[in-house]
Parts: sequence; structure tokens; C-alpha cells
Amino acid sequence: MRFLALFTRNFKETYRDLLALVFLLGFPLIFMLLMGLAFGGETTPTFPVGVVDQDKTPVSQAFVSEALAEVKALEISSYDDPQETLKDLKLGDLKAYIIIPQGFGNQVYQNWQGMATNITLNITYDESDIMVTEQVVSIIGATTRSFAKIEVPIMLNSSPIHIETKITYIDFIGPGIIIFGLLILIPNSARAMVGDKEKGFLARLQTTPVRPSEFILGYSLSFVVVAIVQIIIFVVLARLFGMDIVGSPWLALLVFFFTSLCCIGIGMIVSSLTKTVNQAEGFCWFISMPLAMLSGCWFSIELMPSYLRSIAYAFPFAHAIDASRGILTRGVGLGEVSTDVYWLIGWAVVSFAAGIILFRRSMAR
Amino acid sequence: MSRQDSNSLAVQTFKLTKHFNGLVAVAGIDLEIKKGELFSLLGPNGAGKTTTINMLCCLLKPTSGTAQVMGYDLGKEPFRIKELIGVAPQDIAISEHLNCWENLSLIGKIHGMGAADVSKKSRELLEIVGLLERAKDQVRKFSGGMKRRLSLIMALIHDPQILFLDEPSLGLDPQARRTVWEYIKSLKVKKTILLTTHYMEEADSLSDRIAIIDEGKIVALGTSEELKSRATEKQTMIILAENLNPGVIESLRSKYPVVEQRNEEVLISAKNLNFKEITDYLYSQDITIHSATLKQPTLEDVFIQITGKELRE
Repeated sequence: MRFLALFTRNFKETYRDLLALVFLLGFPLIFMLLMGLAFGGETTPTFPVGVVDQDKTPVSQAFVSEALAEVKALEISSYDDPQETLKDLKLGDLKAYIIIPQGFGNQVYQNWQGMATNITLNITYDESDIMVTEQVVSIIGATTRSFAKIEVPIMLNSSPIHIETKITYIDFIGPGIIIFGLLILIPNSARAMVGDKEKGFLARLQTTPVRPSEFILGYSLSFVVVAIVQIIIFVVLARLFGMDIVGSPWLALLVFFFTSLCCIGIGMIVSSLTKTVNQAEGFCWFISMPLAMLSGCWFSIELMPSYLRSIAYAFPFAHAIDASRGILTRGVGLGEVSTDVYWLIGWAVVSFAAGIILFRRSMAR
Repeated sequence: MSRQDSNSLAVQTFKLTKHFNGLVAVAGIDLEIKKGELFSLLGPNGAGKTTTINMLCCLLKPTSGTAQVMGYDLGKEPFRIKELIGVAPQDIAISEHLNCWENLSLIGKIHGMGAADVSKKSRELLEIVGLLERAKDQVRKFSGGMKRRLSLIMALIHDPQILFLDEPSLGLDPQARRTVWEYIKSLKVKKTILLTTHYMEEADSLSDRIAIIDEGKIVALGTSEELKSRATEKQTMIILAENLNPGVIESLRSKYPVVEQRNEEVLISAKNLNFKEITDYLYSQDITIHSATLKQPTLEDVFIQITGKELRE
């Protein structure tokens, strides 16, 4: 088992290199802590939002009083006249207002009956405050989705609507930050192999009978261990900062695990294409930062132009964020996130295969 | 070549050539290294020694030509070759955060050795190169010389049939160099060894045969004695004497093609120089001779004579 000998060596190199270890676990840890402190717990920002209910059905009323009112980040006040809300928005008393159009209740009801129907809500917001707008729109979107998915008895009037999720900002940002933490596996895993290449150690190993697949396996396995440790730390931290785990935590861990395999695979590809640690790191940050942004680690990508979203969904990370947000905040099951999971598995397989092929090519120049 | 001949060869190259972006590094080398032979490639930096070795241990693909190592073709069966060879690269290639045992065990296990075997052989090798006492320390704390010694024995842990040693004593202090040389000598006959060096003493004292390599070509090949005897066609005598006068120098110049005078030293070069004839002549002129030596040719002289260049800049 040559790859096991290589794995043991690479793992020792990783955990004995204190500085690298600090970077590996410390960087995402600090990021997580800062995000948690900034947006978690009691300091959740609240946004004043006005609501005009033109639907006036029991469903729309429940939506306002049970769903929206329960969101800590929103401070809901009801209006009758849209002109009034617009005035308050202009005065700065409101950050946004929602007009629930006629038919909303019916649309939601159809969803409850298992018929997927588009739901329309009109949101008007103050676009001068981009960050707030972005968050408010995301939160309202997420709340609506979660509301529409809930199964209720058919006799709506007689039973109280129980809303399981109270979406806070940390619920929204948590999965994104975890994926971001995993993204930095790309530079870290690339660095390990390129470092050996730069110092000539890889050349020595290449004069031994180790096969390309054993190289890739030996190098990546040690980072799989690192990834598992990272995932556990991230999830525990996010939980401590108030992130709710509504769905199956195992399913979420599985999504994070496949995400980390994609990152390690991409790292292996980069290390086959570069010659020095500096080159590899530059290359990796160059791809992982835009990917983090494009995939929606920090904000929802729903407002992006559709061509950008198409690009985002070509990569695995937007899928990972969608799937983990769905599982963690809305409690969806494997069935609903299967497409996202297939994308992740596909990317993991393809990137590892490409890593092996590129490594074989670089072996005999 | 008959079949028996090729069975006795460890390495055989056929017009082995390597270009890097149009630059010729190795220009069609034909070499035959016998089993059990210690063969040296001697040449200045950039002559193509490392490129040649890297092709033979399957790290680089030849641009054209090929080679056989223990009967296996480079391009066709590289992994069969890799099982049989041990390589100590010119760059010290060790794993910095591992200790000596772990470094040796990595290479041993890659070659399929059992734990007990690895540990027994490791102890033996660490003892020989004087690293046993520090064997449990992470090697990043080691001096350059210690690292190189470890790098050398990592090529030996799996008892390879052929050893490729690329500048094995580079950066070692004289004492460590002697230890390494002694050890390499003790391996002779048991193993086939190809070493590259730009130290002529190293090539001279260790090798069965030496190939002098320059600008990617083999410019001379033979035993150390054979190579030096080429240089002895032209001998040099160095005389240290008092009261040398211009008349004596003039008459020496009339007899020998090269006569140089630096203060009290005279240097005379010619084919078949007669030591006694010169000293007798100087005595007859009442010159007091302090010393007179016939300079022994070195591989450096051979190199200069063939290439017109110094081995070391």
C-alpha cells in the first residue's frame, strides 16, 4: 500500500508544520469568529420593514403575523396605504416594504398542496444602502420559501400555523462561511504538493515505483483528514453562534465533505500546472476568491444577472451553498438537494481524474 | 553486440539526446556501463550530467534516442526500472518534518519492504554515516552535510541493484566527504554505481571508468590511468633555483618549446621531457637548484587539454 506510506508522511508533514497548521485551521476559524461576533446572537441587526396586505386571506395574514413577525432581523409594521409606506421609506423610517398582492394566499396554498407555483411578492427598498437591501431581500425570500414549504392541516382557520424556522442572519450566512472556509483547502492542498516539487522531494519520489494515482491519493487523503476536522470545527462554531440546524446534520456534513473533495481535487489540478509555491498560491487565490463571491458565500446570488448565475452554477460551490442552506435552515431532505449533490460528486470525480491525468503528464517531461 | 554482452551491461544508452526549448543539454550519448562497475560522469556545471542521470532514472523523457537499464527500456517499462534503482538527487531531497527513521521508512515502504526489514537496514545505514544518535530528530534542524548523508542512504534503504548518485559529496566538509567516499568504495562490485561529479579527486579515487562530459557530449572515456596517459604526452617540469641568468633561460628556450620564468621558478613543458638532462645542464651552469619536480598529470589537465576549459570556474 504505497499510498498509505505517502499519506502517513504527508499527514505528519502537515500537522508537524505548526505555522502551516495555524494558517490551515486558524484563518477560517478567525473568519468564522468575526462573522459570528458581527452577525450572530444578540447583535442581529434589525431592519424596519413595512407590509401592505392586499390579499387579506388567512394565509397572507398568517404570513405577516406568524412568519415575518417571527424573523428577528425584521421589525414589521403594517400599513393600509402603499403611499404611506413609500413616504416612510423616503423619510428613512423604513428600509423596505412588502406589498402582498392578491392571489398570494392561493399561490402559497397550492404549494402546500404539492403543486409548485410561483409566488409573487412586491418588495420596494431603499437601494442606496446596498448591504442592508441585499440582506433584507434575502431574508424575506428565505422566509417566504420556508413559509411556503410548511405542511399544515387543510382546515387553515382552525389550526395555528407553527413556523419552525426563525431565520436569523447567522442562519443565512453560516453555510456560506463554512463553504468559504472549505474553499481555502484549494491553496492549502496545492501548496503541499508544489512545495515538494519545488524542493525536489517529488522528483525523488518519482524515481520510485509510486504510480500517479497513488501520488494523488497519498497527497489528498491527508487533506481529507484536515477537511473533516475543519468541517466539525465550523459546524460546532456556527451552532454556538446561533445557527439553527433544522434538517439532518449528517446530510449537511455529507454536502460539506463532497465540497471539500472538490476543493482538494482542484488543488491537485493547480499543483500539477504550477512549478513553485508562490505560483500555486497566487493561482489558487485568484480562482477561489472570485468563486467564493460568485457562489454566494457572503450574500445571496439571486439578484445577480442570469448569465453570472449560470457561471456560478457551473462550479460546485453555489450548489454546495444552496444545498447546505436548504438542509440547515429549511430542513429539506436528500430528495430536494439531490441535483446539487450530484454536481458536487461529479466535480469531485472529474477534478480527481484530471489531477491524476495532469500528474501523469507532468511525470515524464 | 552479442547477447552475452548485453546481459553483462547494467546501463546502455543509444544516442540519448535531450533538448530544452531548443537548447541541447545532452547530445546523443552512447554509453555502456557494466554490472558491478563504478562509472563517473565528470564535467563542469551545465555539462549535461544531471540531465543524463535524470533520463536514466525515468524523470525526464529523452528528446530522441533511448537507453536500457538492467535490460528494460526507458520509454517502455519505466516502472520496472524504478523498482531496481536507487537515486540520490543533487538537490537534498528529504522530508523536513520527519526524522531519519521516518524518511528511510517512507522509501523502504514504497519499495514494499516490511517494517522489521526497514528498521534493521535503517539502523545499519544510519550507523555507517554517523547519524544514529540524531536519528529521532526532525531533519529540518540538521546541517547541510547531515541532510546530504541522509539523502544518500535513502537511495540505499531498499538495496537497489543500480545506484545513481548525483554529486554525492556536494557541500560536505572534508571529513564527511571522506566518510562518504569510503562508504561508496565499500559498495563497489556489489552494486552498479553511476555517479556524477565536478570534483576530479572524487572521480579519480572512486571510479573504475570515467567519462568526461562537456556541452552534452562525451569527450573522453576510460580508466583514470588511461585518461591521464593521454595528458602525459606533454610533460611539465617545475624548477626552483637561485641565480638564474638570462643566458641560461635563453638556451633552455632554444631546446624546449615552452619555458616560462617567474622570479626563481622555471616551468618547462615538452613532449618526453628528460628530467636528468635538464638538471645536469643547470648544474653545469653553476645554478643552485632548490627543487625540481615533474608535475603529475591530473584529470583536470586532461580536461583542459581536451576542452581548453577549466573544470571549475
